[in-house]
Amino acid sequence: MSRKMVVILFAFIVSIVLLAGCSGGNAAKTGATDQGKELVYATAKDINDMNPHLYPGSLPAQGMIYESLVENTEDGIKPLLAESWNISDDGKVYTFQLRKDVNFHDGEPFNAEAVKKNIEAVQSNASKHSWIKLSTKIMSCTVRDEFTIELVLSEPYYPTLLELSMTRPYVFISPKSFINGETKDGVSGYNGTGPYKLTEHKTDQYATFEANENYWGGAPNVKKITAKVLPAGETTFLALQKGEVNFVFTDDRGADSIDVEAMNQLADSGDYQIIRSEPMNTKMIVANSSKTGHPVHDTAVREAIWYSIDRETISKKIFNGTETAADALFSSNVNYANVELKKRGYDLETAKKILEEAGWILESGSEVRTKAGNKLAMKLYYDANSSTQKTQAEFIQNTLKKIGAQLELTGEESSSIANRRSTGDYDLLFNQTWGLAYDPQSTISAFTSESSYYHTTSGIAKATELYKKIDEVLVSADEKTRKSLYADILTIVHDEAVFIPITNGSVTVVAPKSLQGISFKQTQYELPFERMHFE
Amino acid sequence: MKLFKLIWKDKLAAISLSIIAVTIIAGIFAPLFAPHDPAEVNMELRFAPSSWEYLLGNDHLGRCILSRLIYGIRPSVLWVFVALAISVGIGAILGFVAGYFRGKTDAFVMRVCDVMLSFPGYVMILAVIGILGVGLENILIAFVIMKWAWFARIIRTSVMQYAEADYVKFSKALGVSNIKIIMKHIVPVALPDVAVISSSSFGSMILQLSGFSFLGLGIQAPNAEWGMMLNEAREVMFSRPEIMLAPGLTIIIVVSAINFLSDSLQVALDPKLMTSKHKLQGQTVASSAKLQGKEVA
Amino acid sequence: MGSYIIKRSLISIPLLLIISFLTFVLNNLSPLDPAEVVLYAQGVPKITDELITETKAALGMDQPFLIRYLKWFVSCLQLDFGNSYVTGKPVWSLLGPAFLNTLKLTLLSVIAIIAFSIGLGVICALREGKWMDKSVRGVSFFLTSMPSYWLAALMVWYFSVKLDLLPTSGMDSYKSYVLPVIVITISFAGVYFRIIRSAMISNLNEDYVLYGRACGLPEKKITMHILRNSLQVAISVFCMAIPIILGSTVVVENIFAWPGLGTLSVNSILSRDFPIIQAYVLVLAAAFVLFNTVSDIINAAMNPKLRKDL
Repeated sequence: MSRKMVVILFAFIVSIVLLAGCSGGNAAKTGATDQGKELVYATAKDINDMNPHLYPGSLPAQGMIYESLVENTEDGIKPLLAESWNISDDGKVYTFQLRKDVNFHDGEPFNAEAVKKNIEAVQSNASKHSWIKLSTKIMSCTVRDEFTIELVLSEPYYPTLLELSMTRPYVFISPKSFINGETKDGVSGYNGTGPYKLTEHKTDQYATFEANENYWGGAPNVKKITAKVLPAGETTFLALQKGEVNFVFTDDRGADSIDVEAMNQLADSGDYQIIRSEPMNTKMIVANSSKTGHPVHDTAVREAIWYSIDRETISKKIFNGTETAADALFSSNVNYANVELKKRGYDLETAKKILEEAGWILESGSEVRTKAGNKLAMKLYYDANSSTQKTQAEFIQNTLKKIGAQLELTGEESSSIANRRSTGDYDLLFNQTWGLAYDPQSTISAFTSESSYYHTTSGIAKATELYKKIDEVLVSADEKTRKSLYADILTIVHDEAVFIPITNGSVTVVAPKSLQGISFKQTQYELPFERMHFE
Repeated sequence: MKLFKLIWKDKLAAISLSIIAVTIIAGIFAPLFAPHDPAEVNMELRFAPSSWEYLLGNDHLGRCILSRLIYGIRPSVLWVFVALAISVGIGAILGFVAGYFRGKTDAFVMRVCDVMLSFPGYVMILAVIGILGVGLENILIAFVIMKWAWFARIIRTSVMQYAEADYVKFSKALGVSNIKIIMKHIVPVALPDVAVISSSSFGSMILQLSGFSFLGLGIQAPNAEWGMMLNEAREVMFSRPEIMLAPGLTIIIVVSAINFLSDSLQVALDPKLMTSKHKLQGQTVASSAKLQGKEVA
Repeated sequence: MGSYIIKRSLISIPLLLIISFLTFVLNNLSPLDPAEVVLYAQGVPKITDELITETKAALGMDQPFLIRYLKWFVSCLQLDFGNSYVTGKPVWSLLGPAFLNTLKLTLLSVIAIIAFSIGLGVICALREGKWMDKSVRGVSFFLTSMPSYWLAALMVWYFSVKLDLLPTSGMDSYKSYVLPVIVITISFAGVYFRIIRSAMISNLNEDYVLYGRACGLPEKKITMHILRNSLQVAISVFCMAIPIILGSTVVVENIFAWPGLGTLSVNSILSRDFPIIQAYVLVLAAAFVLFNTVSDIINAAMNPKLRKDL
């Protein structure tokens, strides 16, 4: 019996050691980054599915791999995969001359045939792309010759080129990676035309991108970029300090992985530099006006919330002055957004007055206002990975309490919040406008899209009028009409207070001091890694 | 009273008992003890160091950390205690019934317990949060769902042993009603056992709750809870480690006190409570230790 | 012995069935309509009632409850837990690797816990009531009272920041294992140490010890006897420890960004990814039952008396 036991015990321990031994397999990767050659950036979420025609993937990562026909720059639309283009006089036919020296990462040539297949793959999954109005306007896509492609629209649509320049969905993946001629059910590889290739991906651990030596624009200088999954906050800060990662930037949801104070501390240490873009977007709280019978359906409530946000303090204390207070959905430097709108500053007395007038009464002895038995209580969803959103939420919760409104806070993953936005399962949630390249036309056209802001806008009194104007403005060819239509649209949503602005956000990069050539694109969703180089 | 005296003699136990008593009183009468409103935001005092007005300093919203610690006793300790009491209550009733009447009732209750005990505790709590959503009350519900089976099991074993005692047999022979026997002869002797096992669970439940709050799955803002305070402190864990200190130490002190008290309670009542009694029932040391091991979950 | 193994294994089958059924029921309690959730996940912008009915039919959700359960159960046996609502990937392709990562961490921690708790348990039991025993017990109480995430933060601050010896997080090299294993060991070793110690002590009071001493057996030999009998306790306890720790690494994984089950389950909860939560619960509960069975079998192998229990 005793020998038997010893044998069993021995077997048990050996098997444990063997099993644990398997873990030695990936011991080769070392902790610290090879400073001066590669970038390792921290990301709170895995890069996820890199299929460029669907939406779960990380935008900055997709931006490295895939490219669009044209590029949106400060000076307007510039060529990218298309060398040149012309638009027919009726504005319905776009003909693109493609670059002839481009290959996909798998060696397949980039040509008109590939463009056609990609665009058709996107179009065949139309319901997912309804936020981008171009997807509803494309009638056909024809190959004229090997490097000429023709896009026919159902009606003239002025933001066509803008929407073709976006990070997704109109970007190109090798037709060899399609599954059954489609991309909507997944792809077999992530072969784009961009400056970087995805070479390794370990879910929830890291993803490695290596320079595309055959990139048509010249091989990028930074040879290797790794996206490392780290919880935001102190873990990332520590990893930066120790050099386990050496790059962080504001992610596609507007969340910074470390706070301003930590950034300054890193810059003070002398190893890092902080670079901020121009203000790019507006961070805001979005109210679900379509929830009839609920307090958020009431314009007075939304206005009162607007008045109860102390944007100056948020800007100074939570963002240490790096973001400025925002008074309207779009700051006035955005195209067409220079509109005279009523300013609603931080003013609790006005907020209370508005609520009183709208019939929200504070019974003596109670803390929450009621109207016809309905409590003035709402839920606010924030991104659990963003510490600043949580702090803002708590701060706003506190001021709202002072006017007799109760705010319940729930932190969730960004994907869950995106789901709530598209299904209308929310009262209030944090969001941001889509950034320079998208504002105002795409953000505004998303007002009508069920997957974006439909629930936000559909419950307001003038919803039908609003939607009519949005449809008109996107197809109007006359600059003056456009201007006045945009002014009307912005006034309607401003008066209804469905988009409650907080601050103007920018993209912030923390990078090693020796990294040069850090610049920004017109979109907050991508960084031009290919332009960076080490000194 | 005898028990109290026994514990009072043990210095460590006496200190532990005092700490727990003070904590509970401070929690119940939090508004009297807390110097400030725990939810009062004052951005001017964001991360202010400790001062005479704010003894432990201020957090990321400039709220008084001391007041938040005191109000935090309610969810962190008192509510956990309520969950514990409910699960012990359910466990005790079923345990008494199963252990005293034996037979089919016993077999049925024990099979149900087996099923419940085959879900690891943490996993079960995560499952409940996953389905019912994030929040303190859901974790407490999960606690009750999880723990009663374990208590029922242990209490049954203890009751079974007393039910075999001669005086119980004698009462039965005299025709005393079952309920009377249970109330008069078994509850009083089994109660200390119940006290020991429930106190030993208390500490681990507090830790678990704070762990879930720390992950952001527990209580929601702006309510103060110790795990939640640590979660907030985590944002500045290395740049302002002092903020981590107060709630962390509070948890350690209170949980240590509970563990030490539970230990000396056990010693005072019966030095070898768990093991020796189970053996009387023909159970092996191994299986009783295994049950103890399960409790960790 | 063979018949014992068969019998014991057969007992766990109904248990597994009940567990799977409960897990299935649990998931059906979720406040969201599964068909609706699937539609959200596919990003369908407008969800109409017809679409829901259609999806329900497509998912087989219009069938009676029991049939749905059976279908689900059969696919689970093939490790097909459906697709994640968020990423659309098969659940097992996410759960499998995470399970392995957590298993590695767990096994290493269990080894460390075994080493510490048996070592200290034996030493303290032999010196019951002495200074050594008392102080080790005191320290163990104190350590088990520490919130593991707090301890982890402290460790990271000291070993990774101050001394710069170990990585702060991730699973890059063998060095990454050190801190998480230490933290898990500290938070569990105290409990297991006490179990071993009390098992040893109760063995010490057994008749055979008294008898052995009376017969003048050398103390060393008696200790070996006690140790052997106590090891039996240890093995059964540690068989249980593996699934328990497997399910309790949530907090530690979160702090160290470990790509394991804990991280996966918390992320799934925060993104309301029900298929993953369901599979996670099922897999861990099944592991729990399996380890329990194995530990009983090992026990029976060592102690023939137990085989009659069934």
